Amino acid sequence: MFEYNKKLQYPVKIATPNPKLAKVIITQYGGPDGELGASMRYLSQRFSMPYPELKGLLTDIGTEELGHLEMVGAIIHQLTRNMTMEDIQKAGFDTYFVDHTAGVYPQAAGGYPWNAASIAVKGDPITDLTEDMGAEQKARLTYDNILRLSDDPDVNNVIRFLREREIVHFQRFGEALRKTQERLNEKNFYAFNPAFDR
Amino acid sequence: MRMTSGSPAPGGGCDYKNGTLPPCAPLAAGYVPMQEKNPETYDKEKALARGTLFPGLDLPFKNVTNKSNPYAGTPLGELMALQFMMKEMQLFLDTHPDDTVVFSALQNVIELYETGARTYARLYGPLSLKDMQYADKYTWTNDPWPWEYREKEGQN
Repeated sequence: MFEYNKKLQYPVKIATPNPKLAKVIITQYGGPDGELGASMRYLSQRFSMPYPELKGLLTDIGTEELGHLEMVGAIIHQLTRNMTMEDIQKAGFDTYFVDHTAGVYPQAAGGYPWNAASIAVKGDPITDLTEDMGAEQKARLTYDNILRLSDDPDVNNVIRFLREREIVHFQRFGEALRKTQERLNEKNFYAFNPAFDR
Repeated sequence: MRMTSGSPAPGGGCDYKNGTLPPCAPLAAGYVPMQEKNPETYDKEKALARGTLFPGLDLPFKNVTNKSNPYAGTPLGELMALQFMMKEMQLFLDTHPDDTVVFSALQNVIELYETGARTYARLYGPLSLKDMQYADKYTWTNDPWPWEYREKEGQN
């Protein structure tokens, strides 16, 4: 089960609203490599993971991703506060505003709503962990691109934190893959699926 | 062909930026170096600002790093830093369960966090529903909620 803790993992305190930037950053809320997908991917993959320490790792990283989802939502919320109609028009925020006003909706920067097609749950530890390593790199790259697009120091402070988390998670998933290999027959890692064949 | 290896640490083994790989390994498989046991760590303020407790994993984009975070030095910032250390140690221990040094460091941080969180809840408001045990009325839903912009950080 999950219990709410009434604080963010890392502070979000953005002095200057900027709806144009919000339109870009929302992709890490509900885009293909965003935090919603990350949490759903790991928290769903847990169920077929046969190894106790890796059930733990997927749970612990998946839970952290929910905290990142909340942080990205906080960024969008603070970047879109106190907007005038003129701000909305000037920022090109009108196409988002017409559907969601200043609400936070899980979508990609291009406007496409969150889609489970951007995650995978294959029910095989090597396959799922390899997916997870790729997912962390894609999220890291997306944060790199956000840093290229944003010159707001308050936003970039949070984005740098989130980006670094992707690197740490990549390392842990890589270690998880090594631990999976250690449990398999080293002559042929692909002889069977340890989550399915008993 | 051999990959260029990282610099060995003075006492043998790998330095903090490098981990271990098998000398020979089956083909058609992915390998990330295992982080060494009892790795070098940042202090808690720096860990939170950098996004990792471990200097060996700190690999910033264009080498631009956070010098601080907006709640540094506040009571809430202190708790965030402690909780972040717990998270980093948890993920490390998930793949290094036999590291007794990190395990006892985790136990110490949990104790500091629990004490700090109780004091915080008494002075500024609840972080968890359980903080209502010592409250004189129901303040769980009071503003501000964590995503809201507040000029004075770390204060409810």
